[in-house]
Amino acid sequence: MKKYFGNRWAVALFTMPALILFTVMVFYPIVQVFYRSFYDWNGLSSGIFIGFDNFIRLFDDKVFKIANLNGFKFALVITMFQLTMATVLALAVSTIKFKGKNFFRIVYFIPVVLSVTVVCQLWLSIYNADTGLLNRFFEAVGLDFRQNWLVDRHNAIYAIAIVNAWQWMGYQFALILAGIKSIPTSYYEAARIDGAGVVKAHLKITIPLLAETFKFCLVISVTGGIKAFTEMFIMSGGGPGNSTYTLTYMMYSSAFRSGEFGYGLAAAAVLVLECLMAILVINWIFKTEKAVEGA
Amino acid sequence: MKRVLALVVSMMLIVGMMAGCSTKEEPSAPAVADKEAETVAVKEEPKAENITLRIYAQYSDDDTIIPFDYAVAELAKAYPNVTLELDIQAQDDGQKLQTYAATGNLPDIFQVGLSQIETFKESGNIMILDDAAKSSGYLDKAHPSASNIIYNEDGHIYAFPYAGNELVMWYYNKAIFEEYGVKVPETYEELLTAIEVFNANDIIPMSIFAKEKWITTALYDVFATRFAPEGIVSLDKGKSSASDEAYTMAAQTLKDLLAVGFLPEGATNLNYDQAASLFYEGKAAMFLNGQWEMEASTEKLGENADWMWYPVMPGYEENAKALSGGGAPGGYAVSPHSENKELAAEVAAFISEKYCEAKYTKRSNPILALKIDESLQPEKPFPAMMAKLSEEMSTITSTTKFAWGLSNPQFKVAIEDQSQFLLTPDYTVAEFVEEIDKTIERMNK
Repeated sequence: MKKYFGNRWAVALFTMPALILFTVMVFYPIVQVFYRSFYDWNGLSSGIFIGFDNFIRLFDDKVFKIANLNGFKFALVITMFQLTMATVLALAVSTIKFKGKNFFRIVYFIPVVLSVTVVCQLWLSIYNADTGLLNRFFEAVGLDFRQNWLVDRHNAIYAIAIVNAWQWMGYQFALILAGIKSIPTSYYEAARIDGAGVVKAHLKITIPLLAETFKFCLVISVTGGIKAFTEMFIMSGGGPGNSTYTLTYMMYSSAFRSGEFGYGLAAAAVLVLECLMAILVINWIFKTEKAVEGA
Repeated sequence: MKRVLALVVSMMLIVGMMAGCSTKEEPSAPAVADKEAETVAVKEEPKAENITLRIYAQYSDDDTIIPFDYAVAELAKAYPNVTLELDIQAQDDGQKLQTYAATGNLPDIFQVGLSQIETFKESGNIMILDDAAKSSGYLDKAHPSASNIIYNEDGHIYAFPYAGNELVMWYYNKAIFEEYGVKVPETYEELLTAIEVFNANDIIPMSIFAKEKWITTALYDVFATRFAPEGIVSLDKGKSSASDEAYTMAAQTLKDLLAVGFLPEGATNLNYDQAASLFYEGKAAMFLNGQWEMEASTEKLGENADWMWYPVMPGYEENAKALSGGGAPGGYAVSPHSENKELAAEVAAFISEKYCEAKYTKRSNPILALKIDESLQPEKPFPAMMAKLSEEMSTITSTTKFAWGLSNPQFKVAIEDQSQFLLTPDYTVAEFVEEIDKTIERMNK
């Protein structure tokens, strides 16, 4: 095996297909996004080079601010909800002994396999102001808390974020559960001999050993939040007004509704940078934590 | 053992593939022979070549399916050698069509609105149809009043329209007004009274499907026409700004009406089915939609369905007969890259004409781009509302545009978003004005 890794030609030969595929399918489009973001372009003609004008306009655009703030809110809600719930449920399922464990493992994952459209339609019914389950629930428990969940321009984004958080929690749950399963049981046996209870064992063994899993989950949920689109497209059409726009929605609206592809791609370029930044920050945080632990 | 098994499976796959290839090749030989025979036959007796044209068209409800099917059936009689391959238009703000154009895959004939015409003109993706309009006889059949939807501002024809100058109609349920003794409002004051009475009796004054942004634009435009008859068209052209008194007053009027309960709670989350059913079931007294709503409302409410002129604002009585809506160039366009572009242009004109015929005979709509042959009669009488509109047509002093008829896509997006924003409780007129003005300023640069 060592012989093959030492052979540069062999390495090049085997990595080339993947590299070519990545370059054509991922790298080239990203380069095009950045390149075209410097153009006044309607998506069809050759376009006019305008330098940083699209970016200057972008940073002065109120919608850009709304979109960024919404991306942050969306990412925050889904990260908090998914990581907390997924961790708690994964720990419960892997620790507590009860009949029908497998049933719960499947149940938590079911929303993940549903189509986003189906999930959004389901939640549109739940959020319905007159007949929706949520308002009916508040009525049933005697709370005067009837809301038009998707109408308030300040809070609609949270209502939509909950839908995404609910649907994809099962995915994070599966990842964390797999992480827990990979921890050798001998660690827990040793902890038990040392007198550690279940909670302490999880705090001292499970959670630290899941650091890499958490890092991956965090990257998925944070970048997923920043680039969210489908739920607002189906549930609110970006509205009311443009109050549930994210950067992806802004990119879509600029390109396909306004016919300003260059401007849309400027938003897309910022989106790519933001996602990269988020990944770098998450990596840095986990690196720092490791260094602290190592010290 | 495993290796032997793998080898056997691999051999079987290879043999299978080769067998598959050989069986595919076999029928091709006689096919070539057939083709040769066909060529001989053509030489003996020349026949029109069979041509398939791809058409990208609306085909989603009775108002589009019935006329389209009729037009295709008529085409089969007049052009037996032409087959239409339908590509159903997506409700996607033109994304699919734009992608077709960007990838050089435009259908031979495609349905367009004004903003797409403008984009496609710049990139050479739309054919000028001036000659085809003359040679096909399309222009001879056109209503003089439809010239605004046939000719672009540059004087050319880029699409064959089939609909007429449609309008935004303010519908009402006569029975509800009679039941509560409310006068059909002609003035703003009377409208306020009606809202008050209806709210007191748990009746929604006006139902609207404000989840769709074009109707929120139409609602704003309705009030804009009360102060400035040219409505949003003047803003679209950059001739006025939202901070002009007329447009600010329109926004303020809408806000004032919302404050007294003009629209149902959560209107911006109501879709067409929900809003229409409120009107049909008698839970809402009034309803805003295009004139194509007449048939459905008549079907559900019978003689109780009617339309009214928009209420007049004090001091602006001269704008009483100004209506929102109206036509804009659009319809069936032709790709200049089509292999059969001349024929496609001819077929596009023919389909438009037959579409108009079906709208008249099968959909009871007399307001069309083309004159209908007098020998053709509608299958059922026009709804009373349509007859009333036909009678009153000559009294309309001006019209504006639907959102899809606006020429500037940037303004279209801004007015759609901002008019929907206006319907939310804490969005101010000042915010609305600021955002629209910013867009107009950018357009004028």
